[in-house]
Amino acid sequence: MTDNVDTPTVPTTWQDIRTIAGWELRGAIRSRWVLGTAIAFAAAAVLVSLLGLRSLRELGLSGVGPGSAGLLNLAVLFPPLIGLLLGANSIVNARERGVLAMIAAQPVSRFAYAAGVFLGLSAAVWTTLLIGFSLAAVVVAGPAQVRDLGALLSIAGASLLVATVAVALGMAISALSASRTQAASFATAVWFVLALGMDLALAGVASSIRLGPGALMAVILLNPVEAARVLALLAASPDGGTLGPFGAYLVNTYSVGGAAAILISAMAAWAIVPVMVAWWVVSRRDI
Amino acid sequence: MAEDKAAAPLLAVEDLVKSYGKNQVLSGVTFSVEKESIVALAGSNGSGKSTLLRCLSGALQFQGTAKLVGRDLRTRPAIRRLLGYLPQQVTLPESVTAYEALLFFARLRGADVDELILPDGFLPDLNARVGTFSGGQRQRVAIAISLLGRPPLLLLDEPVANLDERGREEFWKTLTELRDSGTSALIASPSPGDLGAAPDRIITLADGEIESDESWAGDKSGD
Repeated sequence: MTDNVDTPTVPTTWQDIRTIAGWELRGAIRSRWVLGTAIAFAAAAVLVSLLGLRSLRELGLSGVGPGSAGLLNLAVLFPPLIGLLLGANSIVNARERGVLAMIAAQPVSRFAYAAGVFLGLSAAVWTTLLIGFSLAAVVVAGPAQVRDLGALLSIAGASLLVATVAVALGMAISALSASRTQAASFATAVWFVLALGMDLALAGVASSIRLGPGALMAVILLNPVEAARVLALLAASPDGGTLGPFGAYLVNTYSVGGAAAILISAMAAWAIVPVMVAWWVVSRRDI
Repeated sequence: MAEDKAAAPLLAVEDLVKSYGKNQVLSGVTFSVEKESIVALAGSNGSGKSTLLRCLSGALQFQGTAKLVGRDLRTRPAIRRLLGYLPQQVTLPESVTAYEALLFFARLRGADVDELILPDGFLPDLNARVGTFSGGQRQRVAIAISLLGRPPLLLLDEPVANLDERGREEFWKTLTELRDSGTSALIASPSPGDLGAAPDRIITLADGEIESDESWAGDKSGD
């Protein structure tokens, strides 16, 4: 009997996660799609920031806080699409290429694989977004006030959070899909529902159903894009003023910190559950 | 030696069944692979060769038992340190270099790329990107990945399909040397004649069942 038969030694789970995350990050960064997305987001972020500043000057206002609305919309709508598509392409692509079968044959747990893919792709999306926000920050740095940088940071933070959630959702879609085309189609549909569909549905039923602030909060927690938007607005305007009566309800009922904790917890659940689904699928299903 | 091998096979597969819905593609497959042996898995297209290897590699769920050195293949990932797997088709990411691909799998295995035992010139330029390689060169990289860490059991699905004549000769020579130093291999091939003198045994699958399991004389003369 040879020595290597008797003494299998394997790296720890954390080492496996790091190795897989690095592999995914490198692959994503090198792909032209991610590079193109980074450039597009950076250009859009700079453009929106410049237009916001111009509008403020025409109104005779100073600071960029109120003018960040455009950047806020960009920051909570565009990153989920990036994250969903990137996540949706991950597992099913590896499966179609045979790489997942090779990884499955390694002494690596499926948990380490799922966690590594999630962390690697999240890091790739964060890199993409941080490039865009850094350029936007440079543009607004001149006329900005200290509180405006806080607004920009809160928007960036919410954007990174919702992008991370989107990566997780995309991974679950990827694990459940039979082909890359199916995964991309489903991911796009999910983005549409989260970004626009729920708002449209709410607007449609608003005349017949009167939602109280508690019910509205529940609806927001069911949509990570909306949760990110509210979180950014709450962080930028701690008195809840930019959220109107709903902001006052949040501050009075939960306090700013409590409301932020609820929103962040909901988004964390939105990230953890899909990763667990992806883990479960790659553990129990054929690869 | 023969008694020792019979007492403790390296791989013992018993009553392995694999179904896709109502379609049963492997039915009660039972066989073993002894230490230091090369076993060919033959059969026509669709007979279940690749499916069997995919089950044993960990990619597919199945019913029945499969034990490697007496341990269930499905219990802990660590057991897979003892096997190397080459899928029938693998498309490594084109943006990585051959060395990066090898390093990735080596890290997962806790192995060292520099300890690969392959003839000089078998692998293409390791610093070149996979996207620049021909099908045969990509196959050579994939073969190298399956050999990382010198696992005692190799599961190879049509390993020489894309290799040129010289590559095939180098591959069989390497495999024979590995067998002589303690490695076993289960090799799927629709044409056992392509395997030359390497196999010790040939198992033939037909419609998901073992049709025959016999010693393989092969082309031992080298003609």
